[in-house]
Amino acid sequence: MIAPPQALIAEVTHRCPMHCVYCSNPLEMQSADRELSTDAWTAIIRDAAGLGCFHLHLTGGEPLSRKDVEQLVRVARDAGLYTNLITSGLGLSRARLKDLVAAGLDHIQLSFQDSVEETANAIGGARAHAYKLRVASWIREHRLAFTVNAVVHRHNLDRLQEFIGLAEQLNADKLEIANVQYYGWAFRNRDYLMPTRAQVAKSLPIVVAAQERLKGKMRIDFVLPDYYAKYPKPCMGGWGRKLILIDPAGRVMPCHAAGVIPGLQFENAQDKPLRFIWEQSDAFQCFRGDEWMQEPCRSCERKGIDFGGCRCQAFLLTGDATATDPTCSKAPERSAVDEAVSKANRDDQLNQLPRGDWVYRIDPVMRA
Amino acid sequence: MKPPGLAERPALKPGCRLSPASNPESLLLIPEGALRLHGPGRRILELCDGQHTLADVIDQLQMEFPSAEANRIAGEVVTYLSRLHEKGAIEFL
Ligand code: SF4
Ligand code: SF4
Repeated sequence: MIAPPQALIAEVTHRCPMHCVYCSNPLEMQSADRELSTDAWTAIIRDAAGLGCFHLHLTGGEPLSRKDVEQLVRVARDAGLYTNLITSGLGLSRARLKDLVAAGLDHIQLSFQDSVEETANAIGGARAHAYKLRVASWIREHRLAFTVNAVVHRHNLDRLQEFIGLAEQLNADKLEIANVQYYGWAFRNRDYLMPTRAQVAKSLPIVVAAQERLKGKMRIDFVLPDYYAKYPKPCMGGWGRKLILIDPAGRVMPCHAAGVIPGLQFENAQDKPLRFIWEQSDAFQCFRGDEWMQEPCRSCERKGIDFGGCRCQAFLLTGDATATDPTCSKAPERSAVDEAVSKANRDDQLNQLPRGDWVYRIDPVMRA
Repeated sequence: MKPPGLAERPALKPGCRLSPASNPESLLLIPEGALRLHGPGRRILELCDGQHTLADVIDQLQMEFPSAEANRIAGEVVTYLSRLHEKGAIEFL
């Protein structure tokens, strides 16, 4: 029997007023006219609760680009789900936040691009930092869980201490420090985003000291950049094991980047019940278990821990989605990662915020 | 972390709540996921409303489970809540 997913990740829109250079949305985004209706999402959310999910993560793009998020939160709450809103804060007013909380929102994750306004706005491609600070103060007027998401990379990792200070000042319950992962737009901009080995080494003790100092006050999660790790991460907790993701057009996927893998057919949540898609569709079945694995994964004792790493990353770096994730030190194609890492540690020009060279994510406009 | 005092009032932290009673499974929903509740777990957490003191919670459980040894109940409640405090699901007011 296949255990049901724990959480539904609802990418309700790809629209976003920010233009982050590391956005993990696919390069081919779904335009507004392909987005599911409120009724369709309502049916999907209830279906997910019936399947056994207990969390709903509303994300995007910027989920608040849609007007019906309050309604979807209420539907989820009534269906027994715990709801989490992952937002840039743009599109949130004090009044709208109040409505969301009244609808039953349990947790809000607010992203920051830096602790310093100027670089924050340069990375996000929008004058947003000051507004986010106001949003954070409104959040603390309510009793809901508040997480600050700090996305770190070459151009802000040196200010980690200040970033932690910012989250503290905003009175967050939790700080999630995630090194950029190289998918979507971040893969395009990888050379400019990858930190140096020295930066990574310096960041670790800062995190550990802050975790110790803030015990009982603010929890801190830290995600290492996997290009610097010895073993890959168990991406999404394993393919089709814990999470089910639905994109703005209703495509049901094991992870947000899975669209890059050629030949995968995604079912649409409007056409088939989620239980069928989760338990039987090819896109979910193809990388479950270890039948699909190559060596060295297949006979590796860690295959039950990291499941051979990330399929999308394997494809992006080797052209073969069944390969061992090249971030693994045992991977035959580790050289793809080593080259990127050595470039990051060699090329001082990458330390400047690039002008013109890097690619801001565009907003999917209406293709009518 | 220091053990909680008997006069402190345990409460679920913001963003932590019990799954609806109608759910087939009893869960404590937290931002990171959910914890399965076994035995008297749900009952203990129902009493963690920021009104009852830790002493009240213990009294109440001793009353509701008269066949169990009183000292053991007290110890288990304290351990249980301390553990959830460390996980960030409980605060003491
Ligand atoms: S990463 Fe930035 S651009 Fe991408 S969805 Fe999030 S806020 Fe928008
Ligand atoms: S060889 Fe495969 S299973 Fe073993 S650690 Fe590397 S990625 Fe994981």
